[in-house]
Amino acid sequence: MSGLLEGVRRGETVLEARGITKRFPGGVIANDHIDFEVKAGEVHAVLGENGAGKTTLMNILFGILQPDEGEIYIRGRRVEFKSPLDAIKLGIGMVHQHRKLIPAHTVLENIILGHPRTEKIPNMKRAEGEVKELCRKYGFEIDLNARVWQLSAGEQQLVEILKALYRGAKLLIFDEPTSVLTPLETEEFLKSLRTMATSELAIIPFITHKLPEVLRVSDRITILRRGKVVKRLKREEATMEALAEYMVGREVLFRVKKPEVKMGEEVLRVENLSALSDRGILALKGVSFSIREGEIFGIAGVSGNGQHELAEVLAGLRKAEGGRIVFQGRDITRASVLERLKMGIGYIPPERVEASIGGFSLVENIAMNLWYEEEFSKRGLLNYRKIREYAEKVISEFDVVAPSVEAKAAHLSGGNLQKLILARIIPRTMRLLIANLPTHGLDVSATEFVRNELMACKKEGMGILLISEDLDEVLQMSDRIAPIYEGRFVSIVPAEKARKESIGAMMAGAPSEEP
Amino acid sequence: MRLPRLKLERVLVLTGRDAVKISAASIIVAFVIFSIFLLLEGADAIEAYRNIFSFAFNPRLGLVTTIHRSMFLLLVTLAFILPLKTGFWNVGVQGQFYLGTVGAFAVAYALGNLPAGVLIPLMMVAASLFGAGYGAIAGFLKEKWGVNEVVLTIMLNNIAFWLIYCLVIGGPWMGISESESRSLPASAMAPTIGKIPFTVPLAIALSVIFYFLLTKSSIGYQIRCYGSNPSAAKYAGMNPLKLLIFVTAIGGAIAGLSAYHMWAGDPSFGRIPRPEGYMGIGDFTFWGIIVGLVCLLNPIAAIPASIFIGSLREGGAILVRRLGLTFGLDNVFVGILFLTFVAFQFFHRYKIIRVKKRR
Amino acid sequence: MWPFIARCLETMTIFLFAALGELWNQRSGVLNVGIEGVMLLGAASGFVTAIHSGSLALGFIAGIIVGGILGLLHGLLSITLKVDQVISGMGIWIFAMGFATWWADKYSGPLPASLSSPKIGGMLSPLFFLALTLVFIVWFILYRTSLGLKIRSVGEDPSVAEATGINVTRIRYLSVIVGGLLGGLSGAFLILSYLRVWSHIPTSGMGWIALALVFFSMWKPFILLGGALLFGTIWQFGVSPEVIFPGGLGIPLGVYRMLPFIATIIVLMIILSPKFRRKWGLAKPAALGLPYVKE
Repeated sequence: MSGLLEGVRRGETVLEARGITKRFPGGVIANDHIDFEVKAGEVHAVLGENGAGKTTLMNILFGILQPDEGEIYIRGRRVEFKSPLDAIKLGIGMVHQHRKLIPAHTVLENIILGHPRTEKIPNMKRAEGEVKELCRKYGFEIDLNARVWQLSAGEQQLVEILKALYRGAKLLIFDEPTSVLTPLETEEFLKSLRTMATSELAIIPFITHKLPEVLRVSDRITILRRGKVVKRLKREEATMEALAEYMVGREVLFRVKKPEVKMGEEVLRVENLSALSDRGILALKGVSFSIREGEIFGIAGVSGNGQHELAEVLAGLRKAEGGRIVFQGRDITRASVLERLKMGIGYIPPERVEASIGGFSLVENIAMNLWYEEEFSKRGLLNYRKIREYAEKVISEFDVVAPSVEAKAAHLSGGNLQKLILARIIPRTMRLLIANLPTHGLDVSATEFVRNELMACKKEGMGILLISEDLDEVLQMSDRIAPIYEGRFVSIVPAEKARKESIGAMMAGAPSEEP
Repeated sequence: MRLPRLKLERVLVLTGRDAVKISAASIIVAFVIFSIFLLLEGADAIEAYRNIFSFAFNPRLGLVTTIHRSMFLLLVTLAFILPLKTGFWNVGVQGQFYLGTVGAFAVAYALGNLPAGVLIPLMMVAASLFGAGYGAIAGFLKEKWGVNEVVLTIMLNNIAFWLIYCLVIGGPWMGISESESRSLPASAMAPTIGKIPFTVPLAIALSVIFYFLLTKSSIGYQIRCYGSNPSAAKYAGMNPLKLLIFVTAIGGAIAGLSAYHMWAGDPSFGRIPRPEGYMGIGDFTFWGIIVGLVCLLNPIAAIPASIFIGSLREGGAILVRRLGLTFGLDNVFVGILFLTFVAFQFFHRYKIIRVKKRR
Repeated sequence: MWPFIARCLETMTIFLFAALGELWNQRSGVLNVGIEGVMLLGAASGFVTAIHSGSLALGFIAGIIVGGILGLLHGLLSITLKVDQVISGMGIWIFAMGFATWWADKYSGPLPASLSSPKIGGMLSPLFFLALTLVFIVWFILYRTSLGLKIRSVGEDPSVAEATGINVTRIRYLSVIVGGLLGGLSGAFLILSYLRVWSHIPTSGMGWIALALVFFSMWKPFILLGGALLFGTIWQFGVSPEVIFPGGLGIPLGVYRMLPFIATIIVLMIILSPKFRRKWGLAKPAALGLPYVKE
């Protein structure tokens, strides 16, 4: 049955899914009788929030999951996928959000890996020729002999696309294709999408946000909510507000209420700070800025431009290669993490799993910020009674839902785990809070909770450094915004003067507009 | 009757109770396999076990030695457990034991004239310091430079073995018999209560201290944090280097101390025996690994476990003499136990559950 | 002098067989720290078989097969049962120590003269050349064949490899068995060609040095060749220093025997020093030591 999609013509219905239903243990109906179809030469986007059933549908179409009910037809023929390999054989390819490539191998090696036609001793020259032909056809440019770890996010995505095309894919499924791309790379990507669609390829991007960009190139849009299809639209009919409304089902509050706060003394001053990345290359190249009490300083940038290293240097987790950090008048450039914790500097790390201990109870997790305080530890022994009392207090303050405070953290949901981490850090933070991707991967209600907490901290006079990949979040919550690109601040813009398009451009390397 | 459909499910967090059940199951299975072994050797398994335990625990025969060896095993188990709580595989207990030997004997030979009340503590301190230093080197190199501790400590073990060899064979410590060391001065030997050396209650006390250290103290909390999640520990301001050096130094110190207990706690030694002999005890330290793992790194549980395994070793010798079985069966048992325990580790991550019938 | 050089090359052969096998399975992402145990049981089975059967060749075959079985066991534990690879390897080592002692120590002593092993010029075993050939074969397979690309991919990111249709489990089992076979061969060679005498734990730590050699080689067969030559020489020098230093220069024998282990520590520190660490880290198979769980 392979080669089913050979010779398909534009406008033909390539894939049709009817009545797709998938249930998960616990009574969750992830997909509820979904009908969907896509034609060759078309870009048909699927929109939905986290939890709307997007991922499940995508996994079913690619053969990672099998539906409980419903059928899939390819060009009218009924098919069943037992695994992604079945889907690949039939001409379906997937480009994942987190690259499924091998960094140590070259681009060419990644493309030919596992291809059934590869001989025992592969003919690299022939393969190179074939891939080059593909590049020419779709207007792609890439160095086939570069090692993948050397490539940018956009280039890596291109390798994945080529890999799928080399395997004969005629239908490409994209999982959040623009989430890790800079605005410039996004433009490139969208151009290539249209090029691919002018041929006979069928394209399905699955997305949650960054609506405007992808919608510009989509011919049709299907919106999922709570496992059902709630709307199907043609491009001409779609507006931003309408789409968002269908996605979340109510008037979307695009604005976060920012409290009026009088800003106080300077809490943090950073002078010409530099740092190396894990690979030993200079990732942060001399940034300077300051934060006052009650101010939120937002850093906008695509991940990998040095903001992570900046956060870690400020927290004491990474050595500063050059520059100074002054906290409340004291030079703390060489201070250890422990010293900074004792000074009341709080750091919310980006990865929840790394920032908490799954096998420990909630109480013992809270103790991570208590063990060094005299109040809780005398003469080398911990006062577990006091620790538990304190933990119970903050756990309820931060609304962490769990059967008891002795429950293990591993059993908490993502949102509750983040609340636990906030409960641990925020009450012990005095004047400076560094929030690194605080709402990453959280659902709507948890995200709201975190943002409200940050606003409460702002009201209490804390200086906050906010690092977020969500440009809207940064724009709405910050008092001043610094787009970061390749380790430098392109500019520092007050919120009133910030325009989303110009910030976005600066994030991608456009120079500052100021003289 | 249809077989129930089974499937695997990931275990999120292992409860203590389940972990104990798994350990117990692995011990039982090991015994079963070992019994098959004995059968192949032509022995009756029940008869063999009866002989082992009756000899090992008979006050007139093996009891004293059983207790002595068991406490040695307990000490080397503790030396292995503590560093592993931070994720450090202290396979270097053997080398730290050898260095402890060097330290204790150096002091005894140099200051043999001192009264026992001064000499013995000095010997113990020297043994501990030498062992601690040897352990800390590995801890430091692992944390600072990421050197693989298994390879590193095995290298250190071998170096230590040859160090003793240099000192004894044709060296400054050579005794009347050219392959053994001089005897220790009488004042160096451990005082006994009945026939039990004072190091026995000391070992048990250390075990209890370790337990409280891990559960109640601040550094114990840090050790457990770091062992569970090194990144989280760093976020919490803990200092990995300090922790690694602490655990490897203390572990090494205990291993060094075990040297005093072994040589000066058993009157039939009182000196460093020929290379085959001291290497045999050196290999015995590896048993601490399996005891530590089976006890799930619990210092209190290590006490009965050490006594049990120690009795197997002592009693195993009787199998050779009385039943004419091949020497080294106790080693085989420990090896089997290690493998079955390793295999049962599977249940730490997965459990087998019955698939419920779907309506 | 020539006999000394021949012995150096034979020691190099011992290291090379064991390390090539380990390099292979590490390339697929499986770490076997129990090489010492595999060599030990390979030696024990080779020795006992040779004595009982009167045939050196059968001894070699027995050693190789036993090595393969141990490799399979390690695979069973770490691939299927997903036990931590370090624990599994150590289990095999400790089991081997006990078992080999119990099994073969009663045969302690030399091989009968009737079981002679052929040597070129009366000094160098022809298996040395087999080892050299194996270096080339391993390199070719890993870097020039699609099997090798698959193995290396499995060692870097098994989930990506699986997604392209590679059977990760099969590749890892294959690799771990190859590692075991070569480890067993190394042990058999050690006892039947090089030592020709059984004593307590005749491997004396060579397996651990072979493991370290794989790390030093940055998983590249030709660098491994150089490393094996270097350490083969150091080892042999440690055993018979009087060939170079008459009378051993009065230094006790034990000091010489320590040298290979000290050298290993030094090289370990060099490759992990800040200067080399990055290069070494990039060369390491990214999935080494991690169990593969199919989602």
